[in-house]
Amino acid sequence: MTHGHHHPPQPLSPEEAANQRIVEVLASKLRRRQVVGSRAAALETLLVLRQVIAKARFWNIDQLVAIIRAVGRRLVDAQPNEHAVGNTVRKVLHHIREEYHTASKGADTTATSKNYSIAKFVLQGQPRKHVTTQRSETKATLKENDAEDPDSFARGLKPVLMEAIQDVLDELETVYDNVSKNAKDHIHSDEIILTIGMSKTVEAFLKAAAHSRKYTVIVAETAHRYGGREMAKSLSSTGISTFLVPDSSIYALMSRVNKVILGAHAILANGGMFAITGSLLAVTAARAHSTPVVVCAGQFKLTPLWNLYHEYGALDFGDPSKVLGFNEGDLVDKVDVVNPYYDYVRPELIDAFITNDGDHPPSSVYRLLKETYDDEDNEL
Amino acid sequence: MAQKSAAAGKEHLIDSDEEVLQAVVLADSFNKRFRPLTTQKPRCLLPVCNAPLLDWTFESLALAGVQEIFVVCRSHASQVKKAIKDSKWSKPGSGIKIVPIMTAKETFSPGDAMRDIYTRGLVTSDFVLVMGDLISNIRIDEVVRVHKERRKTNKDAIMTMVVKESGVQHRTRIQADSAVFVLQPETSECLYYEPISGHPPTTTVRIPREVLAGHSEVEIRNDLIDCSIDICSVEVPSLFQDNFDYSDIRRDFVHGVLTSDLLMKNVYCYVATEGYAARVKDTKSYDSVSKDILSRWTFPLVPDDNHPGGHLYEQLRGNKYLPKDNSVSLARTCKIGNNTLIGASSKLGENVQVLSSVVGQNCVVDSGTTIRDAYIFDGTKIGANCTVTSSIIGAGVTILDHTYIPRGCLIADGVILGPHVTLKPFDRLTKRREAIAASSEPSKGSNEDDDQEEEDSDLDEIEAGYDAEAYPLGQGSNAVLWPQGPPEEEDEDDVENHKNLSYMRIGDDSWDPAVLDRDEDSDNESETSDEGESSDSFAYSAASSATSLPLGVPTIPTSDAIAESEFKAEVTQSLERAFAEDHSVDNAAVELKTLRMASNVPFSRVREAVVAAIVDRIKIVDGAVPQRKEIATVITRWGPLIDQIGGIDAVETISCLQLHCAQSPRLPIFGQILAALYQADFVDEDDIRAWHASPTAMGVGQPESRQENYQKCRTIGSHMIQQFDEQESEEDDDDDE
Repeated sequence: MTHGHHHPPQPLSPEEAANQRIVEVLASKLRRRQVVGSRAAALETLLVLRQVIAKARFWNIDQLVAIIRAVGRRLVDAQPNEHAVGNTVRKVLHHIREEYHTASKGADTTATSKNYSIAKFVLQGQPRKHVTTQRSETKATLKENDAEDPDSFARGLKPVLMEAIQDVLDELETVYDNVSKNAKDHIHSDEIILTIGMSKTVEAFLKAAAHSRKYTVIVAETAHRYGGREMAKSLSSTGISTFLVPDSSIYALMSRVNKVILGAHAILANGGMFAITGSLLAVTAARAHSTPVVVCAGQFKLTPLWNLYHEYGALDFGDPSKVLGFNEGDLVDKVDVVNPYYDYVRPELIDAFITNDGDHPPSSVYRLLKETYDDEDNEL
Repeated sequence: MAQKSAAAGKEHLIDSDEEVLQAVVLADSFNKRFRPLTTQKPRCLLPVCNAPLLDWTFESLALAGVQEIFVVCRSHASQVKKAIKDSKWSKPGSGIKIVPIMTAKETFSPGDAMRDIYTRGLVTSDFVLVMGDLISNIRIDEVVRVHKERRKTNKDAIMTMVVKESGVQHRTRIQADSAVFVLQPETSECLYYEPISGHPPTTTVRIPREVLAGHSEVEIRNDLIDCSIDICSVEVPSLFQDNFDYSDIRRDFVHGVLTSDLLMKNVYCYVATEGYAARVKDTKSYDSVSKDILSRWTFPLVPDDNHPGGHLYEQLRGNKYLPKDNSVSLARTCKIGNNTLIGASSKLGENVQVLSSVVGQNCVVDSGTTIRDAYIFDGTKIGANCTVTSSIIGAGVTILDHTYIPRGCLIADGVILGPHVTLKPFDRLTKRREAIAASSEPSKGSNEDDDQEEEDSDLDEIEAGYDAEAYPLGQGSNAVLWPQGPPEEEDEDDVENHKNLSYMRIGDDSWDPAVLDRDEDSDNESETSDEGESSDSFAYSAASSATSLPLGVPTIPTSDAIAESEFKAEVTQSLERAFAEDHSVDNAAVELKTLRMASNVPFSRVREAVVAAIVDRIKIVDGAVPQRKEIATVITRWGPLIDQIGGIDAVETISCLQLHCAQSPRLPIFGQILAALYQADFVDEDDIRAWHASPTAMGVGQPESRQENYQKCRTIGSHMIQQFDEQESEEDDDDDE
């Protein structure tokens, strides 16, 4: 690393970046489960990253990437079960590199990635989407490790980075609308839909479909968190004909159901997913009746991970109190309660993912992942 | 952040909601239940699931949105201070300000600590008071909100205690140190509080008559875990200051406030149905709270998620927690049971079994050893083919091969034990003191000296008393066995008495001390008290629902005759002064109430004393008319005082009068006094009839010598009743005409 002769302040080291107050605050909130849910976690992460970048001092792209990765690692370690945190960091890194490429190399990058085919897919490695909108005219002046003025690189790059982060933010804010824009193509009149739990994405999707279709929703109440009750209340308030049923009747009703629509906590690289406890039950019942299973989820739930741990439950267990009351003094000592937050649903049980980036079968999730994130970020 | 701004938006008119939420943590235990583990370090730094207890408390408070914490430390204060300074809480970004307060060595009780808080003027608004042994995931900020809401309408609601519903039999509810709460169901105002102890066994709960009379509905609950989370208003420390004899927050302060006739303050309960909160106040609850953490009742405060020590653990099926960094070395044939936590860099050998236990960091367990329900602190080595059951093994302990450690043993830091030693249940071992002196770092600081000295004298005694021949602890052992029996001078009424403490030991499986017979091997002391009968009733009360507790009516305690005679003398003096200086009835009453509380006697005693004093006030004069006049003056002037004490109970008044007259020269004027009371409307016809019919009036339970006088009084009563009857019949006659 070259130093200017007038010794400008050193760039921020990744460790310092990861120990910043705002990072620490979000990390404790994640640890204490004060920020829960994929979208909330993604939003908070993005806001922290934006602040970190705005304040960061860096002389070249590697320093910037190292800072973001260190912050990302800190947040992911704080709560490995909120996959959206890591995903957001990966996405931001991807955008940073993309902006950097456009800014430094300019229009000539367009030549490198043309005729793109499955046959060449492995050789080509990263399929990179083209940024057609040429944002800035700074490309000529962008110079890394400038001995005269090392901060000029950051000054030049920061505005485009802020725009890129704003894009990610906009995407997150409009995710429900975008997922549900094709809702009427998936739900037809007089169909019976089954869903479980309370998923904001599914809620928006069903409500959007209700604008043009008349159909019925069966909501399983999803013990013991009973998100289904909330969901049923919300759907019926907008005039959708809604039934709230106990979880035990899912199988019995499945023969009448036309489609199962679920939300996801995280979509995994093999096309499987983590979803609220009870999803596996519903999906298995659907398989027995050959009922199609559709999953609605924002792109920020795409996670470059596999389910390595439990065959059925995702590795996130809550407290036993809702299952076994703490006042059951006799039993507390003798019964071990396993209360997973999420089920793992295998890819072969899912028919389609509906995302804000179009509809995809589970078998092509890996491609989506390759397009969305850079390979080197899979391990932060 | 979003939460905060929402709250601010909602309540922007009220400034008080914007205040920083303060908490006071009493880090000292003020008792010796964890000895000998606590001879070298304070209880609050003992590890629970491999993180210092104090960090669990801080994390619990952080979870509840507390922003400023005062930690009151006494013993080993500099260690506590250092631990706080080195912890993650002192880093910028932790979002919490922690201020250690070093209190004087003379602070012997929580009450003293509260007075210290008052003198220092630490708290400025409502604050959360917790003990430094709390593990909780209850939303305390919600309780604070409820408390503040209540304070807006009722300024006298000075405290809200958080209690957790648990059922009577619960591993986390230590029977020997719990309490019965009398609540008003609608407002959950705490009307009465009575502590329960295992020895002497609490068989009945005495609830004051006024509590039952004054409320149409009361809940009497024996199924609550007292979490010792108190939301206190600023008056609480000042009340401690005013009442210098309050030492325990529950037994003295709450009990005192609730039974006081003068303070007129209210204490409320917050019965938490959701969430978890418990205290590690003795080794038994150390065991149960550790188990609760491992079985995730404390979520999100669990080892794999929010470990206060900052360790990263991975949870495997069956609540087994292993460090994420794969630093643990597990032999192929070792077995890890459910609800087990193994610290980083530990090594388990072939055929080792670890079941429902916590093993610290850098521990080594050699082949063939079984560890069950035990807690092993950092850096301990356990040799081959040992057995450790329901015990706590300190840090840096070396246990050599073939050592058998049965339930309830506590082994302090640095002990070397074995090989081929078999301990007895509930044995306690420490390192010999020469060994401590040689190995302890000189950096210990001079302010530890006082503490050290005190400890030293204790340890000297123990070392002198230990007979290495009778209880061999192995070759090369540096250990000293602590004596088991009760200490020589002991106050049986103290909660900290030896027998009661024995119910709070880890491995003591008699959850209800009175029901299960104590095992011979666990109990060296002989049973002397008459427990047979009373233990049955305790069992009954504990096992059945809360409302069927036998309720006692305040009766005259037979003990403490000296205290009582003192009280009597004081009352007489106080009344003489009142008579002489011609006080108003109200002032005299206040004075009496204070006296009553100071000596803790029931109302009936005061009434007796007052009646006696008033009767003695009446001068005996010759002639019926002047005598009657004299009586009338005294009664009209001082009669109202009788009813000011503990409410109107005319029948009792007459009984008192009878009792007094029966043993004084004023027996002849009993009838006249009674008539005067009747004239002045202090008693009416029905009361006299009721008294006359009661067994006390007939002298039941009175000594033979008084029987005659009693009968005389009763005869006078009979005459009066005859007169009443005659009058009535006359009236009836009048009506007929």
